[in-house]
Amino acid sequence: MQAWFEKVGGMFETAFITGDRWKLYISGLGVTLEIAFFAAILGLLIGTVLALMKLSTTRKGKKTIWARIANAYIDVIRGTPSVLQLLIMWFIIMANCKNGMLVAILSFGINSGAYVAEIVRAGILAVDKGQTEAGRSLGLSKAQTMIYIVIPQAVKNVLPPIGNEFIVLLKETAIVGYVSLTDLTRAANQISSRTYEAFMPLIGAAVIYFIIIKILTILLDRLERRLRKSDNR
Amino acid sequence: MIIVKDLHKKFEHNHVLRGVSYHIQQGEKIVIVGPSGSGKSTFLRCLNLLETPTSGEIWFDGQLITNPKVNIDKIREHMGMVFQNFNLFNNLSIMDNITLAPVKLKLMGKEEASENALKLLARVGLSEKADAYPSQLSGGQKQRIAIVRSLAMNPRVMLFDEPTSALDPEMVGEVLDVMKELAESGMTMVVVTHEMGFAREVGTKVLFMDEGIIMEESEPAEFFSNPKCERLQDFLSKVL
Repeated sequence: MQAWFEKVGGMFETAFITGDRWKLYISGLGVTLEIAFFAAILGLLIGTVLALMKLSTTRKGKKTIWARIANAYIDVIRGTPSVLQLLIMWFIIMANCKNGMLVAILSFGINSGAYVAEIVRAGILAVDKGQTEAGRSLGLSKAQTMIYIVIPQAVKNVLPPIGNEFIVLLKETAIVGYVSLTDLTRAANQISSRTYEAFMPLIGAAVIYFIIIKILTILLDRLERRLRKSDNR
Repeated sequence: MIIVKDLHKKFEHNHVLRGVSYHIQQGEKIVIVGPSGSGKSTFLRCLNLLETPTSGEIWFDGQLITNPKVNIDKIREHMGMVFQNFNLFNNLSIMDNITLAPVKLKLMGKEEASENALKLLARVGLSEKADAYPSQLSGGQKQRIAIVRSLAMNPRVMLFDEPTSALDPEMVGEVLDVMKELAESGMTMVVVTHEMGFAREVGTKVLFMDEGIIMEESEPAEFFSNPKCERLQDFLSKVL
């Protein structure tokens, strides 16, 4: 029993303590969070614009050129692996840019935007059509009706799937090692290849991801509950 | 005030309006009745272009509003509409429901709009609900607020699309009372309804629509006591 404890203790020490290795996990986590945070904001912006483009109709109720462009964007992004998108961004589109962080944020933001677009579109469509009709019948323009009436109600609808998308995005950043950034996953990987011992670094990284996402989940739940409260006022 | 000429509306393969022509004078209270699917709601919704007519002309105060170049938002400021399902804005308080449009369209300042809203709320007996939210109100209260919201724009005509059809029976009266009071104040009204009592009492003309056309029109007394076409006789025998 004692021998087992000593062995595990030793593994823990090599994985986290020796040579201040814990600092590598922390800085890796910093990279992960930075990419995920800015990509989420970018994805939210792109997704909202795409959703509005996709919902735009002509006076006669036909699809606009904007809707077609948004459709093409979503098709291409959803139809290709995000690792490939990241590599294409890094080696082809932004080959002259040496800032891996910027490339990663753009690539993940562009990717997430396609998924967010469908979420936001569904959220807007879920708002009763009568709300729009009432707004328009009072003389409010399409845009005013959207801004003051539909979107505030759509926010509540989209919160759960948007939270889901953020979580997926955070974990998907684990592939940024491809563009020579040291995120949490790559840091764990590097340490395990240096110590010839995979268990502690990999399980350790997994636990850190889990804790971060658990915290995010709790925050999103709280926000959702607060927004729902206004329904029963 | 509103002139409709040969109005047609098709949905896909469904020909809902098959040539409706009518002339609504200022101050009239037009009540439209008819079986479901007769096109009466579609006709009403065409008047403020919530539905785009397939063909035909609609003139409002001498302006051809079916012309695609017309700014329909400006026209709608003068046409209030009340819906079957109330459609109060769920995310806004009652006060904000009423003042949103006049303030955002820059017709009134915020304070003036609030004062006006309070006056209108008092008129329908709901002053104490100014800070409430739609989900806290009964159906009848919601519909009275919806009427007030339209009135806050000082419309020249009010369109009612089956305003009491979604209400519990005991709440129908309170909404009809508000509508009667509005009629007495001289408002021009177009009302699609199944309330025959209201049609008889308030209407200056009653229209019977079926199969996408106006089959019969006459003054209420004549309409109910001496219906001419067979479809109307049949309809009245079922609803009265």
